[in-house]
Amino acid sequence: MAMQAARRLASWSLQRRLLLPSQVQAPSIPTAAAAAAFLHSHATSFGYKQVREEDKSKLVGNVFSSVASSYDLMNDLTSVGLHRLWKDRLISKLNPFPGMKHLDVSGGTGDVAFRVLERIKSVGHRAMQGTLTETEEDTHIYVCDINPNMLNVGKKRAAERGYSKEHCLSWVQGDAEALSFEDGSMDGYTIAFGIRNVTHIEKALSEAYRVLKRGGRFLCLELSHVDVPVFKEIYDVYSFSVIPAIGELVAGDRQSYQYLVESIRRFPNQEKFAQMIQEAGFQRVEYENLVGGVVAIHSGLKL
Amino acid sequence: MRRTAALLSTHGGRSIPRALADVLVCPLSKQPLRYCEATGSLVSDAAGVSFPVLDGIPSLVPKDGKLLDDQEVKSEQESSTTDSSG
Repeated sequence: MAMQAARRLASWSLQRRLLLPSQVQAPSIPTAAAAAAFLHSHATSFGYKQVREEDKSKLVGNVFSSVASSYDLMNDLTSVGLHRLWKDRLISKLNPFPGMKHLDVSGGTGDVAFRVLERIKSVGHRAMQGTLTETEEDTHIYVCDINPNMLNVGKKRAAERGYSKEHCLSWVQGDAEALSFEDGSMDGYTIAFGIRNVTHIEKALSEAYRVLKRGGRFLCLELSHVDVPVFKEIYDVYSFSVIPAIGELVAGDRQSYQYLVESIRRFPNQEKFAQMIQEAGFQRVEYENLVGGVVAIHSGLKL
Repeated sequence: MRRTAALLSTHGGRSIPRALADVLVCPLSKQPLRYCEATGSLVSDAAGVSFPVLDGIPSLVPKDGKLLDDQEVKSEQESSTTDSSG
């Protein structure tokens, strides 16, 4: 079946890397300086353009306000539907359970949140044979996004799917760098295709750490770096020529998609990002490449 | 863990759902929020800032917080019940 082939494609070149525990690293001054320089460069880059740090979030905000209404369609077109499988994989790794408190950051249009909800409901029903138990009632999924347009699209989609009666879905406008959730209040934290748009990645990571309970899991799905020869070249052509063109045709906005593509290249590679997650305090940090590194899922545990 | 919720129920009304009230804090100070019925906003006394609730969606982005002027802060403090649990 086509789905089988697609699944194989999505997990082609599945690589798992486990970062060694912190006894291996002894941060030296050159490393710290390099890290600071990198973080500064991420904070002041808008794709390949240089911008003032204060301006970055506004520019990103404009991008997402512009693409919000066609966001889901564009995801389907540019990833040839693969983003759905990638998100399925993310949820699979999250392994949601009834009664959990889950925070999905930059999850505006609801893709990840709906999947978590569906997964919990199906798990709950299998276990409890349809009766709503107290535990299941405790389930709550919080969708946080800095952009109100994206949240409104999400709320609308929730209504379309019949989730508006769901008391376990909440929408909050907030900043990944300064979350409005209490310390240790979440069992799970996901951020899908959002972290590269954050101005200060390290702040988003430390906020993720703060809001998670002990034993809580951090998962990040993000476009990453492809090193596979030949495929890398094809991917580059696709990214820089095809995607902005689709953006222009479908969303009427070439520039936003140009930014999106450039921001992927500027984002740290798999190893570097894994290191940053570890520096935020997470343990058992690992990542999984999908489609040769086009996408990577990084995960960590707060112990 | 129920600090914001406790403050909200002290004021005899909850205009945001319990599940939100249980976990929401001020994004700046990480301290509990107070719901202000008059303005329909969430107030952070610790930071002296108020955040709007738009279409049922709390807007807790730090830079969108509105500074409370001194008069507002004083009158709210006078009329609020002190929450002993925390």
